[in-house]
Amino acid sequence: MEPRLNDTLHAMLTDFGFLKSELILASGIMVLVIVGLFKPRAAVLHLIALAFLLITSIAAYVNVGYEPRLLFGGIVRSGGSFSDFFKLLFASGGALTVAMTWRGEQQRRLSEYYALLLAVILGANFLVMSENLLVLFLSLELVSISSYVLTGFSFEKKSSEGSLKYFLFGSVASAVMLYGFTIMYGLFGTLNYPDFQLPSVDSSQLYFIAAVLSLAGFLYKIAAAPLHPWAPDVYQAAPMPIVAFFSVVPKLAGVGILLKFSQLTRLPITDLKLMLAGVAILTLTVGNFAALWQKNVKRLMAYSSIGQSGFLLVGIVSGSTQSAEFLLFYSTVYLILTFLIFFYVQKFEMAGATTIADYAGIGRTYAFAGVMMLIGFIALTGLPPTAGFTGKLFLFSALWESYTTSDEGILLALLIFGLLNTVVSLFYYLRIPYFTFIQKGETTPAQNNLTFENLLCLILVLAVLVLFFSPGLLMGWINKTNFAF
Amino acid sequence: MQQYLISFLIFIPLVAAFAGIAIPSSFKRAFRILSIGVSILQLILICLSFGDYNPEAGLQFIEKHPWITLDLGTWGTLKAEYFVALDGLSFPLVLLSVFILLIATISSWTIDHNVKGYFLLLLLLNAAIIGTFTALDFLIFYLFFEFMLLPMFFLIAIWGGARREYASIKFFLYTLVGSIFILIVMIALYLSVHEQGMNEGIVHSFNLLNMTDANHFIPESILHPGNPWSLGIWNAREWAFLLLFIGFAIKLPMVPFHTWLPDAHVEAPTPVSVILAAVLLKIGGYGLARIAIPIFPEAALHFSMFVGIMGVVSIIYGALNAMASTDLKRLIAYSSVSHMGFVLLGLASVTQEGIAGALYQMFGHGLISAMLFILVGVLYDRTHDRTISNYSGLATRMKTYTAFVLIAFFASMGLPGFAGFIAEILVFLGAFKAPTANGVLHESLAVLATGGLVLGAAYYLWTLQRMFFGPFNVKGGIDEASLTDVDLRERLMLIPLALLTFFFGVYPQPVLNLIDGFAKQLHELVMTAGTALTIIP
Repeated sequence: MEPRLNDTLHAMLTDFGFLKSELILASGIMVLVIVGLFKPRAAVLHLIALAFLLITSIAAYVNVGYEPRLLFGGIVRSGGSFSDFFKLLFASGGALTVAMTWRGEQQRRLSEYYALLLAVILGANFLVMSENLLVLFLSLELVSISSYVLTGFSFEKKSSEGSLKYFLFGSVASAVMLYGFTIMYGLFGTLNYPDFQLPSVDSSQLYFIAAVLSLAGFLYKIAAAPLHPWAPDVYQAAPMPIVAFFSVVPKLAGVGILLKFSQLTRLPITDLKLMLAGVAILTLTVGNFAALWQKNVKRLMAYSSIGQSGFLLVGIVSGSTQSAEFLLFYSTVYLILTFLIFFYVQKFEMAGATTIADYAGIGRTYAFAGVMMLIGFIALTGLPPTAGFTGKLFLFSALWESYTTSDEGILLALLIFGLLNTVVSLFYYLRIPYFTFIQKGETTPAQNNLTFENLLCLILVLAVLVLFFSPGLLMGWINKTNFAF
Repeated sequence: MQQYLISFLIFIPLVAAFAGIAIPSSFKRAFRILSIGVSILQLILICLSFGDYNPEAGLQFIEKHPWITLDLGTWGTLKAEYFVALDGLSFPLVLLSVFILLIATISSWTIDHNVKGYFLLLLLLNAAIIGTFTALDFLIFYLFFEFMLLPMFFLIAIWGGARREYASIKFFLYTLVGSIFILIVMIALYLSVHEQGMNEGIVHSFNLLNMTDANHFIPESILHPGNPWSLGIWNAREWAFLLLFIGFAIKLPMVPFHTWLPDAHVEAPTPVSVILAAVLLKIGGYGLARIAIPIFPEAALHFSMFVGIMGVVSIIYGALNAMASTDLKRLIAYSSVSHMGFVLLGLASVTQEGIAGALYQMFGHGLISAMLFILVGVLYDRTHDRTISNYSGLATRMKTYTAFVLIAFFASMGLPGFAGFIAEILVFLGAFKAPTANGVLHESLAVLATGGLVLGAAYYLWTLQRMFFGPFNVKGGIDEASLTDVDLRERLMLIPLALLTFFFGVYPQPVLNLIDGFAKQLHELVMTAGTALTIIP
């Protein structure tokens, strides 16, 4: 018997109750657009955006550990600590972006700017919740299209160029991905990817092609090689808070859905895992080696974030529940570190330093900032005593474990490449502290240390140190909240 | 108080460093006094506890506290502890480090630019060094081992000579490559080792003592002795030993991984060179004796011939390079490479004498190389020129200085009556005995190594002849008036070093007593455990 329309509507209404974070974000977007019509002062918009993001993160936090529940006939899933943890990360990333915008130069068209920012987060939320290829595609497009516009928000020739490049590259990637999805639909007769079952006829090769095509979209989003060339141009063109935001939220959303997709499709796809390992090796190598030759700080950070995608991919390749939890740990650390660095990159850019050479002697003027940045870079490299080390130790332990159980040579290669790449990354990460402290530049009198940046970044640095000395604070929590995708 | 000795040694400099941040940078004197006060306090603490240390008893002053305990579900529990202790291996080295750090602090008195940063970094380095030598938990060891790099990097890069950028980055990258190798083995080890006797589930621990016991390895795990996994011609345990060996050999340094050392030494300021040569190089030998050999005894036996050959190559190649050096500091840096070769040869012999000799060489070389680098610093402070050919007949102008140089050079040559002699004679005894006792080394290695002694005598005597004897003459725009003899502060550093070098050359027993127990234990461990575990060919 067909379910009555009334029942269906009723079920949908109850399901909406499980989308608190998303409803808050959606209403935030509307409030921002409407308030923007009255031309309010910038502070009002900052506050509104911040308030909505904080409420969202609280809603996500409260939600962590709820029983998983499929909504709307199984196309999205709420609950299950995995997606809620990511939502918490997205909202925190958004809140930090607001703080950065408040301290930065970007003050034009703030209402649209924040509305788009919230739209990206909304898309990211749905992305990690999706259990259906169509929802996956729609939320990925929501993230992408809002991102294209945000890239151009400096309203200069250069930023329009970056925005267009991003758009062209992005639409091709989306198209390729959509093509892959259509093949999958034809193959399995359903769009809900946890239900995929190979038909009796041997079609694993066709599935492999479809999966490779679909991967293009994910890899593009996280800026993994060979789909990374957009990143440096976009990073250079976009306003600084947006650069920081791009290297965290859409990237982690991409990582999240890739992880979820690879874990939930219970198909014999070792080929795919091996291919991801190859992509990880390539990404690590391309990102880290290209970063060695950069002179512009923003471009350097772009390649650094490509390299970091490689490390995040390590967590996906290992493919155990444990590695997924480690990936969440590393993602958190990565978020903290990225904002730590970008807060200061923005501050120094406003002081007139855009290339690495401009940083010469800046450590004398801003001693405190220089030290904080140094700790940030040390942590990004993955040296103790920072949580960056703990995160990498966890990820590589999981990879090692995965290697010893599966005995695939490429996993060992990934392990070795990954670890050797940390050495390479040290070389360019240390260049900025090297210029700030060791090179002599013009000396200006020391600045007041008691600024908003320094206080906030002190908290971030302390978090990174505390998470090294007792990783249980975060790992224990991730572990406790009955982890499910 | 005694039971917290090690924590005091580690945390006093750390606390002082953090307290120092609050002092305004204009109070230059305050930082010197703070730094020297910390060193004197550490020296007093360790000297007071010397009486309580029982050389017969193995690990002492043990501190063991839980640090990280993570329940990782299906993976078992990850457990790291704050586990530090002293034994016959670490006690002499901690003693040496504390003493050398005091000397280096005195030597830093002349640093006049960015004093605050310098002394705070020195204090951080101090804490990291003591921590590395006392840690018995792999994670803590690794933490301190890595943490040492950063202060060292900045000390060379900010206060160094003309090519400091190149030298400091090279130092950092070489050591980091080594520590990545160590990290790979650390990950494999902690996944392979479990703690026995725990209630339920597997507890993966970083405890270094557990790792030396084959019973603690999880069956089927990658580093379990019975695991048939192999890559190329070596099995997992042999690879692990090789990775650890390379990691520590870079630090030692061993030819061909030594090229960072001359650059770092030449560019580093005098006190940093002193610490680098006298203490940091010892971490390579320490790591081999503490981690690589006891954990993989059968691989250590298997590769002892190779290690011995590399030792002899280092001895000869380092000495030849020293002979060809035109810069006095570079000469001494290469002589360090040569002397560290004896450490490798002694450890490779796996005899009690050889191991004791290797450890004594680390101790003795610490004293002698500190003295050598301070002497180079004395000359460089006066003339800013270290080119050997620019000097001649210095003995006529700087009499006391020449006397100290004679002592240091003769001690470094391994002349009887100095600490270096005892060490080298023990290493030779071990190396000559090994072919018959253990069958691990070839007779020719010891014979070839003696060649190193001859070369050592040659480059030192030649340098003496060129720089100090003959008619007085300086070239290269050196101001003759600047060549004054050693002053009081320099004597304060040189006299204790000279006396100790002499004392430990005539009466080595106090240190040998400490070392001997450990050497015996390591020898027995490798001979029993190493031969019990058969090597899959």
